[in-house]
Amino acid sequence: MQNTSIRHRFWNQQQKIAPYLFIAPFFLLFIVFMGYPLISSLIMSFYEMRGFQSKIFVGLDNFTDLLRDPVFWKSLWNTTYFALGTLVLQLPIALFLAILLNSKFVKGKNFLRLAFFAPVLVAGVFVAIIFNLIFDQRAGLINNEFLLFGKEIGWLSEGRYVMPAVILTGVWQWAGFNMIYFLAGLQGIRQELYEAAAVDGANWWQCFIHITLPSLKPVIAFVFVVSMIGSFQLFDLPFILTNGGEPADAGTTIVMYLYKNGFQFMRLGYAATIGWVLFIIIAVISIAQLRLLGIFKEE
Amino acid sequence: MRFQIDSDSFPLGKGPMVMLILFVITSVFIFSATEEKDESIEFWIFANTHYEEYQARVPIFEALHPGVNVKLINYGGSMHDKLLTALLSDFGAPDIVEVEITSIGRFLKGAIDEIGFVDLKPRLESEGWMEKLVVSRFTPWSYGGKIYGLPHDLHPVVLLYRDDLFKAAGVDMTEIETWDDFIIAGKKATRDLDGDGENDQYAIVLDRRTESDYFNLLLQRGAGFFDGEGNVVIDSDIAIDTLTFFTSLFNEHKIATPVYGTWHGDPSNFAAMQDGRILSILAPDWYVGILKSQVPQMSGKWKAVAMPSWELGGRRTTTRGGTMVGITKQCQNPDLAWEFLKFAYFDKAGLINRYETTRIIPPLKAAWDDPIYSEPDPYLGGQPLGRLFIDLAPDLPPRYQNPYWSEAADLLNDAIFNAVTEKQTPRHALTELADKVRSIIAKDQERWGNN
Repeated sequence: MQNTSIRHRFWNQQQKIAPYLFIAPFFLLFIVFMGYPLISSLIMSFYEMRGFQSKIFVGLDNFTDLLRDPVFWKSLWNTTYFALGTLVLQLPIALFLAILLNSKFVKGKNFLRLAFFAPVLVAGVFVAIIFNLIFDQRAGLINNEFLLFGKEIGWLSEGRYVMPAVILTGVWQWAGFNMIYFLAGLQGIRQELYEAAAVDGANWWQCFIHITLPSLKPVIAFVFVVSMIGSFQLFDLPFILTNGGEPADAGTTIVMYLYKNGFQFMRLGYAATIGWVLFIIIAVISIAQLRLLGIFKEE
Repeated sequence: MRFQIDSDSFPLGKGPMVMLILFVITSVFIFSATEEKDESIEFWIFANTHYEEYQARVPIFEALHPGVNVKLINYGGSMHDKLLTALLSDFGAPDIVEVEITSIGRFLKGAIDEIGFVDLKPRLESEGWMEKLVVSRFTPWSYGGKIYGLPHDLHPVVLLYRDDLFKAAGVDMTEIETWDDFIIAGKKATRDLDGDGENDQYAIVLDRRTESDYFNLLLQRGAGFFDGEGNVVIDSDIAIDTLTFFTSLFNEHKIATPVYGTWHGDPSNFAAMQDGRILSILAPDWYVGILKSQVPQMSGKWKAVAMPSWELGGRRTTTRGGTMVGITKQCQNPDLAWEFLKFAYFDKAGLINRYETTRIIPPLKAAWDDPIYSEPDPYLGGQPLGRLFIDLAPDLPPRYQNPYWSEAADLLNDAIFNAVTEKQTPRHALTELADKVRSIIAKDQERWGNN
């Protein structure tokens, strides 16, 4: 009798504990590999290290230093420049390609879809090495074959052309990837809407403005936010393309500057500070974007 | 009761059973793999050419020391970051490691007893090695009176030039002695090939994006960014004068072209050389090795001459690049590690093999008599290149190491670019730079005191 009641109680307890045990592996891994480093990097941003062991509390010094650091502002500007380039160049191109591939008139869609998507499968480092050759001032494909600008442009050797070169490379690499999202969104729009509009006499442009764009809103919001986050985390492409940000930090992005401080200058506290400031910037921009696009509104 | 396992009676079915089996198998592999051999040395390397050399050399060392096992790991360019992480976490560093000259500085930060490398000075002195090597080559690996590495190389620099094209311009480069001579010769050889009014054949190619070529000239004059005591001296009169000269080669005399691509070893720079647009380059020994392997078709077109000096009878070389090998403080058997270091860096047979593949001249003076260094080099039209480098070696300038080199070099790159593109005067660029680096150091000293 007693035996069954113990067994009964055990069974009851197990019922309660089991769900926690099932989700425990994730949380344990999260705490060890995400939670702990996150917290310690936050703590680290109030310290500075020198050498391999000495650590000293510096309060908000790292943050005030950062605000006065011209290279940080330069890297913030470069990164913002890239993000804007993504916004006004890469995403419209991606949308345009998606619409093109969604239309009835284009042949070989499967092949084109793969061709546009393929660049994202190539590691950023290889892309950077190839584009180094493409942007080369003398022997490069762009200056040599197209001579679009009437003179040899020092894409990677003159400061003002460096970020445009990085943006163009970004377009090549990621436009096709974002195109896939837009394409999925376009294919989800109900055909009846267009048919009804056609009956009402709407032209192509009216259909695009009043049906396509509003229906794509959730996809657009997603792609915008993800692209912005990706843009602000830009690292490997300009790092290789500009040989570490040269000339004169024209190609230095925030994450590159973080890397330099952490690994080359051994200023781990300062690097942690840059990381947290970057986090705040990304969070603010993402929330602002979602609000502007009305994603938080209940419909 | 019969214990039975089959896929249907296993709790929750087949899937979890397969996962559990895989888990058990991988666990067994993981735990059995971490077992350490008794006497083993782990050696981290960042350069492929070095890795290939040691791969051939390690079996010989192992044969000389039975029971010893040397484990070579080539991490490539990311090795320095991995080493930094291992030293920071006080776990996982190799016994022996090669470190590159521009990367060692950051490892020297902090109090002297916290530095992750073993001081080799006592061993070097007690075994009499200091006299046997080119002594200025210890400066890149020394700090605070200690020596953290053996020098792998000398890396003397010569002027590599296109004999045919200079001769065509009426210049005999062997008669060039000073930089003033070079400017006169350079003006004759720099020309517009396609008649569009702009020069496209330049007497020399120089890197204006990084410190490399400016630093070549600065070291040649016995100056540098830091002096032997660790003071910032990049705003000295010599440094400013040298940068003024450097910018004048581009802007006033117009005999220099910026490097094509991102550095001297860029494929587009080699393309420009093949097009005859570059007539000379400041080349350390290792660069000749790269040229040979990357543009073998230019064999016979290049010749080498000692660098022009700043005044008659002055120093006619400088030094660029370098590697050291050191023992980390996590090494369990420093005596054995030391034996391997000497075998890898001071063994004559190994050094000859190294010269054959990479053109690198060793800092060990006793090795220089070997006839291989006097052999004519077909790539340079039969010139005995090794002999030229060795003749210049005793005059090699010191290159003082400093924990702040990474920060300093990063800012120096900007200063040089700003001066050459005339955004700042050389004096302004360098005084501003010196102030910045001094304030970085002062801030650290304020926090941690002077040691």
